[in-house]
Amino acid sequence: MNECILVVDDDPEIVRAIAITLEREGYQVRRAYDGMEALDQALDPAVKLILIDVMMPRLDGLSALLRIREKRNLPVIVLSAKSEDTDKILGLSMGADDYVTKPYNPQELAARVKSQLRRYTLLGDVHAGEKQGLLINGRLSYDPAGRVLRADGDEVKLTPTETKIFELLMKHPGQIFPAEEIYRRIWNEDAYSCENTVMVHIRRIREKIELNPKEPDYIKVVWGIGYKMEQHG
Amino acid sequence: MDTKWNSMDKDPGEALERFVAEEVREAVEAGKTVKVLRPGGRVMAFAAFLAFFLGVTLTLSSLGTAANRVAWERDPVPRFAEDWQETERFRSEVSSYLRDFLTIGAGGRPDFYCYDYWLEAEEGSELGCVLQEDTVHAVEEAGDRWWTFETIDKGTSGTAYVTGPEVRVDLGSASSSSASVVPAPEKERDPDEAFQNDKNVLYFIETADRKTYSNAEGGRSFFQEAERLSGAGTVDFSTGVQGQKDGCNFFLTFQNGRVSIVKDGVSLDVYGNGFYDRDSLWFVPGYDNFPVSEDLEGVTVHMAVRQDPIRYYGVDYRTGNSYSSGSMYSIAQQVEETRSFYRTQAALFAAGLACLFVWFCLRKHRLMADRKIAAWTCRVWTEARFLLVLACLWWAFLPGIANLDFVYELLYGYGYGWDGGYSFTAWGMAVLRLVLSNVPGLLALIWLVWLIRNDHRHNPREARRSLLRPFFRALRARDLKRPVEKRLSRRVALFVLLAVLLAAEMLSILINMTLIGYPSWLLWTVYLLPVLLLAWAAAALARRELGLAKDLGRLADQVEAVRAGDLSKPLILPEDADLRQTAERLNDIQAGMKAALAEQTRSERMKVELVSNVSHDLKTPLTSILSYAELLRQEENLPPAAADYARIIDEKAQRLKSMVQDVFEVSRAAADQLPVQPERLDLGKLLRQTLADMDGPIQRSALAFKIDLPEEPVMITADGKRLYRVFQNLIDNALRYALEGSRIYLALKIGEGRAAASVRNTSRTELPEGVDFTARFVRGDASRTDGGSGLGLSIAKSFTEACGGDFRVETMADLFTATVTFPLS
Repeated sequence: MNECILVVDDDPEIVRAIAITLEREGYQVRRAYDGMEALDQALDPAVKLILIDVMMPRLDGLSALLRIREKRNLPVIVLSAKSEDTDKILGLSMGADDYVTKPYNPQELAARVKSQLRRYTLLGDVHAGEKQGLLINGRLSYDPAGRVLRADGDEVKLTPTETKIFELLMKHPGQIFPAEEIYRRIWNEDAYSCENTVMVHIRRIREKIELNPKEPDYIKVVWGIGYKMEQHG
Repeated sequence: MDTKWNSMDKDPGEALERFVAEEVREAVEAGKTVKVLRPGGRVMAFAAFLAFFLGVTLTLSSLGTAANRVAWERDPVPRFAEDWQETERFRSEVSSYLRDFLTIGAGGRPDFYCYDYWLEAEEGSELGCVLQEDTVHAVEEAGDRWWTFETIDKGTSGTAYVTGPEVRVDLGSASSSSASVVPAPEKERDPDEAFQNDKNVLYFIETADRKTYSNAEGGRSFFQEAERLSGAGTVDFSTGVQGQKDGCNFFLTFQNGRVSIVKDGVSLDVYGNGFYDRDSLWFVPGYDNFPVSEDLEGVTVHMAVRQDPIRYYGVDYRTGNSYSSGSMYSIAQQVEETRSFYRTQAALFAAGLACLFVWFCLRKHRLMADRKIAAWTCRVWTEARFLLVLACLWWAFLPGIANLDFVYELLYGYGYGWDGGYSFTAWGMAVLRLVLSNVPGLLALIWLVWLIRNDHRHNPREARRSLLRPFFRALRARDLKRPVEKRLSRRVALFVLLAVLLAAEMLSILINMTLIGYPSWLLWTVYLLPVLLLAWAAAALARRELGLAKDLGRLADQVEAVRAGDLSKPLILPEDADLRQTAERLNDIQAGMKAALAEQTRSERMKVELVSNVSHDLKTPLTSILSYAELLRQEENLPPAAADYARIIDEKAQRLKSMVQDVFEVSRAAADQLPVQPERLDLGKLLRQTLADMDGPIQRSALAFKIDLPEEPVMITADGKRLYRVFQNLIDNALRYALEGSRIYLALKIGEGRAAASVRNTSRTELPEGVDFTARFVRGDASRTDGGSGLGLSIAKSFTEACGGDFRVETMADLFTATVTFPLS
């Protein structure tokens, strides 16, 4: 595990803090302090992942990202102080694989880096998985036959009830399920004040599959309507 | 295969029509405007309209003309007889002939009779009136049909109505046109002189002393022959004509004190029940109450009347009097005329009905013609229409109204009634006469009204032309626009008018005085000067005042514009204007407002930008702080005190992070720049989800939640994420500030089309009075030592309002209630 990661930010202290965190996780870290430097270093094939800030002098992060994408296909995580949904959508549509808002949690950042690298290196396996009828959603892959859930290739242990709920949501990504329906389907009973029960299970699933259970990427609440599985690329 | 086109029993025209209708419907559905030209559409439309026009015109005009005639004849029953010899007039004429002949037969000499059967007399049955020679004052022609006469001895006057020019004033002895009758020497004349030239009435008179008078060829033998030919009851077929002799078919014989009549070979009943009364047909002697006088003993009179009276003229050169066709001819003529009149009207009416039928069959096609006509009539000015209607009204009714007799009849309903005195029928006839006095005019009026109605139906109101409308509109708009100016102008105009009148008055006095020769040069100089001065002053004042009024109007406009928020255009008045200074002051105010507004807008924008920038700029160092605090905490060799410091730094940095986020959002919401994605959602479910989501903190707290949510969905439209933040903040707020061990009430109620969710708790600390808890950085406890940012309720309020709901906070003693209301959807 000596993958080389390029960290780009105009604030050297932030770069340093990230570097320390990542090096403790066993990664090699290269540093760049603006977009142009990032472009120079990103071409080195040793670099396996890029963490890049948006607002930087000379060349901003998103423009740099576009240029890097012309040359190389590698995971890029965008770091930004802009926390609006529109900013996130813009970043992701420009080719970022993940979008992390400042101030970030260092552990979460490390987890995301790890996740991206695993997915990137496991890409071949993922394609192999498709043939076997695996359900793939972002970093999650689920085998309905064996009831095996993997996150970034690591198997996740779910209780039977959690597995049922997860399977229901996983099979219908994007579809909203009211708590009552989830309850009826899983427990085969009429639902009565089931919101808490369902929520407890969903919270537990989140803790097992999400990188940051407080801001889930996969199982989301649609407020006033129900729950759904977000579709990821 | 479409049998519609092939089946023989179906009307091909109908099928074609259906086909065309289908085409039109499709075209209309496709949004196209197409002009469908049906085969012969124009011709059909023209024919339909022509039929309509002719039908209405003919039926109405024939009805109107006939009704007019009936009304004029003053007889409820139209004088319509197939045979002129069957009329009342004929019988009375025969009666008077007989009277004359009997007079001659008795050795007398008939008087001059006025055979004026139309004369209105007191007695309706009396059809003739005897005019004594010396009472005839004047007979003068007052028009084609109007004759007036006056009888001096009675001192009354009247008007005679005749339908023809043949008023017989004399019967040969007097000049027909002269009012003064010159009696001829009696012995030179035969008593039957007046009848000798009559070619329509033949007679034979045998007096008691065997003298005979006759104008018939052969005298007695003529009548014997006639009697033989048509003797009562017998028909001589050899003549080919039944009961006629020399064209005469009516034979009257007076013999032995009895009158017998044979008409067309049939003997008529003359005397009826033997008593003469109003219903008796023949006014001849021989009734029980109208006996034959002794003078007629031995008198025999034969008379014959031609079936078709002939027209003839002649002059009796013994007397120099002219004579002509006679009364029988005129009666026959009149009956014939009446008959043909009613027949013509009936024919016209029938033709009209036929036309109406044609129109009824083609009525669908008429629409096109109507539109064409409407397109043409819409060019006619409203004023012209008005004048046309007025002219038509004038034409149709003026002749009636102008004749005061009509109006008099209408008002009092008597005078010319049949029965005399008041009569409803007579009144109705009078109305008819008035209304129908000019049938063509009436028809023109009807068609004019139709044209206008057609125009109104097919042309929009805006398309109508009017000369005066723009003028009135301009006046009205102006009046509304600047009331002050308008009023001032009117006042000035009044003043100027007074001045002009005064000046004119003075001038006229001066001119008068000059004309009557008053020594005047001094007067002129003394008076003209003030007149001129007055005129000049009035003109100057008017100009000045009108200018002021105009400026005032503009000023008022400008004030209105400023009030409405238009700050761009200043009001520039001329240098010398009275209101120049006021306008400048107004401009100053306007400029000040503009600057203030610009400043306010700028500062608002800056505030939002500032908050946005600050929150971004804060986040960068905060990232470093959080990162290094985390690293510091991970250091294992720290002294315990330092580790504790690191924990505190991390904790406060975390709080700073959430505050920065809150400040950013609340400022965006305050500037109305918070993006929301509204969707229909169940508020009850949202509350349950929020409670489930916050289950951890709720369980950990020492507070009991009393939840009252309806089972059924409560649908509202809002942004779910924002609303979640609202209730998260409210519950968080309750958890944070509620009294230990107390209960928190969360309820959702529906009423008046709104859903109201409320969170109620008992405050741990005393709630200060008069504090707006939703204001930014406000907390119940002013010392601010707890973990809250002070933005929770503020965010809840801004988010609720951004989603279209109402947020309200109420406090009563220690009871704190936050209520979120949304309209149901």
